[in-house]
Amino acid sequence: MSVKIEASEGGMDHNVMLGIGLVGALVCIYLVWLNTLMSTEVFAFFGGLAAIIALWWGTDSIKSLCSYGIGTGVPSAGMIALGSGVVAMLFATKLAGISPLLVPVGCVVVAAILGAILGFISDKVLNMNIPVMTRMIAELTVVGSLTMLGFTAMVAGTFSFGDLITGATTVFGVEIASYAASVIGGCVLATIFMLGAIAIQHPFNACLGPNESWDRTQMCAIECGALSMITVAIMSIAFLSIPAVVISFVISIVIWGWSYSELIALSKRDAYDWLDAQPIREVGGEQ
Amino acid sequence: MSALGGGSAGGEGINPAASVIALVIVLASVGVAYVLYPAALIPLIGIIVGGVLISFGVHFVPVGGAPAAMGQAPGIATGVAMLAAGGGLAGLFGGAWAAELGIWVALGAGAVGGGLLMAITCLMVNVIYVYAMGIPAASGKVDKDPITGDTYDGYRSQGTEGHGLPFISYVGGVLGGLFGGMGGTLIYLELLSVYEEALPSFLGMTPEGMQTLAVSLAGIFAVGMFLVAAVLTAYNITGTIEGPHDPKFKRWPRAVIGSSAASAVCGLVAILLVVI
Repeated sequence: MSVKIEASEGGMDHNVMLGIGLVGALVCIYLVWLNTLMSTEVFAFFGGLAAIIALWWGTDSIKSLCSYGIGTGVPSAGMIALGSGVVAMLFATKLAGISPLLVPVGCVVVAAILGAILGFISDKVLNMNIPVMTRMIAELTVVGSLTMLGFTAMVAGTFSFGDLITGATTVFGVEIASYAASVIGGCVLATIFMLGAIAIQHPFNACLGPNESWDRTQMCAIECGALSMITVAIMSIAFLSIPAVVISFVISIVIWGWSYSELIALSKRDAYDWLDAQPIREVGGEQ
Repeated sequence: MSALGGGSAGGEGINPAASVIALVIVLASVGVAYVLYPAALIPLIGIIVGGVLISFGVHFVPVGGAPAAMGQAPGIATGVAMLAAGGGLAGLFGGAWAAELGIWVALGAGAVGGGLLMAITCLMVNVIYVYAMGIPAASGKVDKDPITGDTYDGYRSQGTEGHGLPFISYVGGVLGGLFGGMGGTLIYLELLSVYEEALPSFLGMTPEGMQTLAVSLAGIFAVGMFLVAAVLTAYNITGTIEGPHDPKFKRWPRAVIGSSAASAVCGLVAILLVVI
């Protein structure tokens, strides 16, 4: 049994964050479906918003898990989240064959089951004996899969498997269907994978310490998510029409600019506090 | 060695009840795969073997973490997940390139790829330790190198658990890269065989068109499963390990049980992709 170290005092209750994160991300992913309903592509940016909301929630899950000292560093939790999340998310996109509306909910359900099994293995089989481990690994898998699904929906404007595997290339002015020019066939997923992984493992890793504060860590999560969103918006040039790309790009730039200035302001606030801290005293010696 | 200084969790010994449940999960996954899609039975077993190879291999890799970066513990100065990802993915890419040449050539190429990356990493780590940081290689866990017979006692600094990268750790790193690269490649090859066989009939595609699709799908799934197996092993090691001579190495049966269950479930989901 390991000892819990309280990472930061105050802040929002984790269960509330779970609710906001889960519902917010799901609603935003469903809003991407407006693209199909209205046969347009301009709603793709909602996928990026879903990913940011999921990352905001996931950062707090990582904080709860890593408060117990897992011994492997914070990034490992982000890697297992995205590693299992991509498995659940790809499986869920295939559910579009039954009904496209099943995809986001199916993604959460499959990821939760997969994450609960992985959490049980790490907690009981590997004898980690951390009380929140099963729940947090399950949450992180859901976060990972929602992040992947959100960014994938943003880059492709859709989240059904059939659309993700077909693309079009132009050869000598003639447009032909090609699997290699699609989101999955072109392995754009690999880039989205690393963008999501960096965004989830960085915030708490960067902000942890004796002076960690809830709002600064969460603002860092939004900032990292927005930074990944900018890159995803640039990648979507290959798949979406120019107006949709411009809308995604402008929205990500605005969110990033706002969150970055907020993060700097919060860091300055906390840095001022840090100056008051005493240096570590040596025991013994001339005192 | 926690980031917050909370002390590592992870006790010794095997939890019998949980291990039995994990084995039941393996059997259940294999059973479900056999019922829903019989042709995937052998590939799923291959995926489980791949996960076991990865998790066994990661135990060999000398992971030093933050103390190693300060010259206070032996090993490579980063976390298990990063090292395993580096070595294993290098092996995976090496094996994927050779996939057309048959399974044994591909597995060999994957193993050599992973081993080579770890060999170069270990060499450069020691170059930096010896010539830039000015510290000799000395193990903290054993007084005498099990292979060369060199003694470490006189070289170990006071207040440290050894430092640098001793020869036995170097050998362990290369062995870990071999196992990890081979395991990652095996997962990729088995998934590729499933997708190449199933995608044309399930999606009504031409075999030529779906080659890139099968490669991409198998590749991203293999990367995901590799990271799951490697991170679970990292949790088993809880931080740092010196190599095959470290007492923590004896924990490998736990990780093998855990990773086989994790790979079985993830592999089942990846295979069910072509069924629904």
